[in-house]
Amino acid sequence: MKSELIFSGIGGQGTILMGKMACTAASKKGYNVTLSPAYGQEKRGGRASCQVVISEEIGSMIISEADTILVMDEKSLIDYEGKVKPGGTLIINSSMIDKKADRTDIKVVEIPFTEIATKVATAKSANMVALGAVVKTLDIITLDDAREVIKMKMKPALVDANIKALEAGYDYVK
Amino acid sequence: MADKVFMQGNEAFAEAAIRSGCKFFFGYPITPSSEIPEYYAKKAPAEGLTFIQAETEVSAFNMVAGVAATGKRGMTATAGPGFSLGCEAMSYMSAASLPAVIVDCMRPGPADGEILGSQGDYNQLTKGGGHGDYNTIVLAPYSVQEYADFAPLAFDLAEKYRNPVVIASDGTIAKMMENVVLPERVEPKGRADWAVDGMNGRGHHNDITTCGDGPEQWERFNLDLQAKFAKIRENEQRWEEIDTADADIIIVAFGTMARVCLDAIRLARKDGLKVGMIRPITIWPFPEKAFANYIGKGKKFFVTELNAGQMVNDVKIAVNDNASVEFYGRLGGMIPSPVEIYNKLCELYK
Repeated sequence: MKSELIFSGIGGQGTILMGKMACTAASKKGYNVTLSPAYGQEKRGGRASCQVVISEEIGSMIISEADTILVMDEKSLIDYEGKVKPGGTLIINSSMIDKKADRTDIKVVEIPFTEIATKVATAKSANMVALGAVVKTLDIITLDDAREVIKMKMKPALVDANIKALEAGYDYVK
Repeated sequence: MADKVFMQGNEAFAEAAIRSGCKFFFGYPITPSSEIPEYYAKKAPAEGLTFIQAETEVSAFNMVAGVAATGKRGMTATAGPGFSLGCEAMSYMSAASLPAVIVDCMRPGPADGEILGSQGDYNQLTKGGGHGDYNTIVLAPYSVQEYADFAPLAFDLAEKYRNPVVIASDGTIAKMMENVVLPERVEPKGRADWAVDGMNGRGHHNDITTCGDGPEQWERFNLDLQAKFAKIRENEQRWEEIDTADADIIIVAFGTMARVCLDAIRLARKDGLKVGMIRPITIWPFPEKAFANYIGKGKKFFVTELNAGQMVNDVKIAVNDNASVEFYGRLGGMIPSPVEIYNKLCELYK
């Protein structure tokens, strides 16, 4: 089994953190994981993206076409819509993106991450809503696996709110 | 076996170097190498290590030479622009038979260039870079695991041949995060034979010198160095072969590009195209022995690099006009996808 994912957004949105958490979950299950980040010199405001490959064998860190792509801002949508595998999923942060996707050969999911996060936790958990949505599209990582990673990686005081956000994102994708 | 950890390439290398008994780090931060000094500096107080941020790479490389002269394990890490500044010291270390480990996280040049991954320093690393007739062993990792494994290997090779060893990393391998099993800790060896640490029970003082007296002596000094390089060339060529036995086209790629080609080979094989790969692990000495079995048999070689065509010249020397050699490269920090390489392979098949 192999999953190829791209997470793309603006520095500060937690894009690379999401990739790391997906990798940690898959790595705990014995998969080979490769996260290849790309970011500019800016601390905030520049492009921050990562390509994630989860596989049983070692292979390219550069993805030709991804199974799931998450875009957190409009520029990322423009740059990455074409990289989704036919039949794959494009998850769009509709809290920040008004533009619609053009492709019809892929599943497009628009989710208002910030609004959902604000409702179940705080706006800061928007990236965990996004992670939940991504996890829903994967066979390799389950909701339980993602919950475990949150418990492992986050301060105890933040765990409950972020798990709620994760679950809300997961449930939003039908 | 130790547990796997999910770690960034540069950090895994720094941890592996510490575990290999590297007690001294001298460097000047430069992207994409900076996590190595950062990690080392963080660990230094608790581990009793010496970390110095030098004022330039010129100083850092010479400090590495200095610590090597005392018989202790020392290193630096930099990117292309910093490596250029260190080249004078590289030439001196090689001439003076000083063992040290230097990481070059290649980025797209020339000049300052970009900060992404590239393989633009191939010629500089493998053909000397500094002045005079000298060579350094150059190891090119293609995974975080190999990057970490090369830390103990690099120190062992450096001491075995008393010569600097370079790790040819790049912006992609450096920043990439993967599962890795870190090497076991090794205890520092006893007093080194070459250490300049006074007589202290030895019958003589050790001298570290690069000087001959007159051309006759100077030539003998050079011939001794060349004999050492010939021995390295004979003993230390390392490479991996993937699906080469029945291949019509043999890809030659190292580091990041070899990873991309793994997927390109899978795509090609699925379509019945017989494609394999020779992956140089040492880029100096270049693994020319790998080519001996395949030349003169109608096989095509396809060299792909993240530069304008540097290793391709070593492949041409290795096949010595007995096979066709094609090249494809990307520049400026662009990395081709597996499908892009697969399409190139299809063109070659026509």
